[in-house]
Amino acid sequence: MADVALAREIDANIAQGARPHVRLRRRRMMSMTAAVLLAPALVLMALLLIGPVLAVLLMSFTDYQLGAPTWSLVGLENYIELYGDRVFWTSLTNTLLYVAIVVPSSIALGLGLALLIESGSTLRAFYRSIFFIPVMATLIAMAISWEYMLHPQFGLINLMLKEIGLPAQAWLSDPVLALPTIAAIGIWQLFGFNMVLFLAGIVSIPSHLYEAAVMDGARSAWSRFWLVTWPMLGPVTVFVAVISAIRSFQVFDTVHVLTKGGPSKATEVLLYSMYSEGFEFFRSGLAAAIAVVFLCFVLLLTIIKARLIEKKVHYS
Amino acid sequence: MLKQTLLSAAMVLATVPAMAQQTEVVIQYPYGELFNDTHKQIAEAFAKVHPEIKVSFRAAYDSYEDATQRVLREAITKQMPDITFQGLNRLRLLVDRGLAQPLDEFIKADKSLETEGFHAAMFDIGTLGGKVYGLPFAISLPISYYNIDLVRKAGGDPDNLPNTWDEVIALAKKIKALGPDINGMTYVWDITGNWLWQAPVFSQGGSMLTEDEKKVAFDGTEGQFVINALARMVNEGGMPNISQPDARAAFAAGKTGMHFTSTSDLTKTTDMIGGKFVLKTHKWPSVVAGNGRLPAGGNLGVILASDPKKREAAWKVMKFWHGPEGAAIMAKTTGYMPPNKKANEIHLKDFYVQNPNHFTAVSQLDLLTKWYAFPGDNGLKITDVIKDHMNSIVTGKRASEPQKVLVDMSADVQKLLPRK
Repeated sequence: MADVALAREIDANIAQGARPHVRLRRRRMMSMTAAVLLAPALVLMALLLIGPVLAVLLMSFTDYQLGAPTWSLVGLENYIELYGDRVFWTSLTNTLLYVAIVVPSSIALGLGLALLIESGSTLRAFYRSIFFIPVMATLIAMAISWEYMLHPQFGLINLMLKEIGLPAQAWLSDPVLALPTIAAIGIWQLFGFNMVLFLAGIVSIPSHLYEAAVMDGARSAWSRFWLVTWPMLGPVTVFVAVISAIRSFQVFDTVHVLTKGGPSKATEVLLYSMYSEGFEFFRSGLAAAIAVVFLCFVLLLTIIKARLIEKKVHYS
Repeated sequence: MLKQTLLSAAMVLATVPAMAQQTEVVIQYPYGELFNDTHKQIAEAFAKVHPEIKVSFRAAYDSYEDATQRVLREAITKQMPDITFQGLNRLRLLVDRGLAQPLDEFIKADKSLETEGFHAAMFDIGTLGGKVYGLPFAISLPISYYNIDLVRKAGGDPDNLPNTWDEVIALAKKIKALGPDINGMTYVWDITGNWLWQAPVFSQGGSMLTEDEKKVAFDGTEGQFVINALARMVNEGGMPNISQPDARAAFAAGKTGMHFTSTSDLTKTTDMIGGKFVLKTHKWPSVVAGNGRLPAGGNLGVILASDPKKREAAWKVMKFWHGPEGAAIMAKTTGYMPPNKKANEIHLKDFYVQNPNHFTAVSQLDLLTKWYAFPGDNGLKITDVIKDHMNSIVTGKRASEPQKVLVDMSADVQKLLPRK
């Protein structure tokens, strides 16, 4: 986009004082240049983004199986099968539940930490990096560490529980606990990222607003937060919420490493269903249909974000 | 990412013409931690006999699932290995996709096969639609593992171990009563491909589907017996809901009285036990005399190379790998047993005398039958459906209504069978 703006500016500068027909030719040349400059980005976008999405969409209307020599169009059959498939509904509910747990918790934790760090005076950089480490770590490797910590017999967490006299839990093989456990790991991985975004948001709040609030009688920290910080963080919060939701929808690594969707599909999530249908059961058409459902959710979130940001959720 | 893939693809292509002199046969096999040593030793022995063929390996597949996935993906890009070792229940998929090459012409032409210990039952395991597509390499069978120390403590007779599930469950109760952290028994119900669902059903003389493969057949008396037995293990035997590695670790730590799983675990489990207690293996319970069978687990070799010259070289490799020498190396380096007769009867005779626990499976060889693969596009999805239903019993969620679980399971599987 910057290319276009630049091209226009140059265009305008050159056009000044030029004769009309030369101006017209120059103009055409310039738009040609713009097209040429844009082309690589457009081609890449078509090849790497739009093309695959169209391919997936097409594949979801076929009975294609991985490695099969032939395929045929089956219309909406894959979607009808999904509609009647208990596993798909479990998977969708689990994903929504996961998002519902992870998004508010990671936002609350991220915001809380950001406020604490910002109000403190020492070791700020230290805390910032400590809490940001989970974001930078490779989730697959971290999932394996979690696996050891959560081991029913010699895991750190159960040993600690036993130490204080609480019963040990089968974190990942108990159907009731498995999804919350995976969600807890998701929160752990995400809150540091949210914290950094909130920190940036807090820093950019002009201090005169706080001064004005104090003068107007907002004495307690809570009322300053409620009257100034929270409303000023509006746009950041919307952004953080949408990004967290999209990232939570994409949960896969932890499930793949720790539970494989089990026990009894208690942790089956959309992307994992897509993976197992496509690469374990080789039903690529059905996997494509799940991918389309997934894309619809992400698209919905993106639209919500665009709308909210357009409405300008800030007061500046 | 893409750049790297393209680059490595280009490098692979560039190296192809350089090795045209010696015929090269590329092999890929699953479970490196179990089989790396095996294939390396066989390859060394092979190089001495056949210098004209160069055998090379690709990095081992992680699992049988991974093995099939990779072959299917490589089929699209035409980069398959010449010989692949696949789970015994995965052959059907490769044959359906037209990737596995039939071996009949080689078998017919080769008169020395019988004296080399190859036999009809061995070919039978890899036969589909009347043609032989694979040769079984490493075979495993389900067996029972007993902690004799715990059996004694619970008042059981080590020379008279249980022969039926009734006796197993009765003994499990007694062993469990020994202490709060002692398990009576563990049954590794979730082995890939519904192996330990098929085993008890086949042992009753039952089958997964009807002869024409159009209807579910495990919902009859055999299946009812098995699903009840599974529920009783949970309800009466107090079987814990733990994962495969945890169950193995608990047994090896001396916390479990009886453990029901594959022979392929024997070497690893024996090592893990060290000398902590006396381990004894015993035959699989409740196998009906006459038509009772047990499914063969393990993997088989399949030729994927379609070029005639490559195929001929690949056959020589296959014959050596599955012949007496290769089979004997395999048996000694893993817990699996070889289907090759000559290997078992001559090369491994002393080995079985010294390791009687390894002989339990060999004594069950007559019961050997195919590890069944469900037909059609949903074949692998069906195994997942069965696994989930079994899991609902093991977790205790539906342990009180095993018959209802079986009805639901049959209905769900029926829906996924090919309608034609």
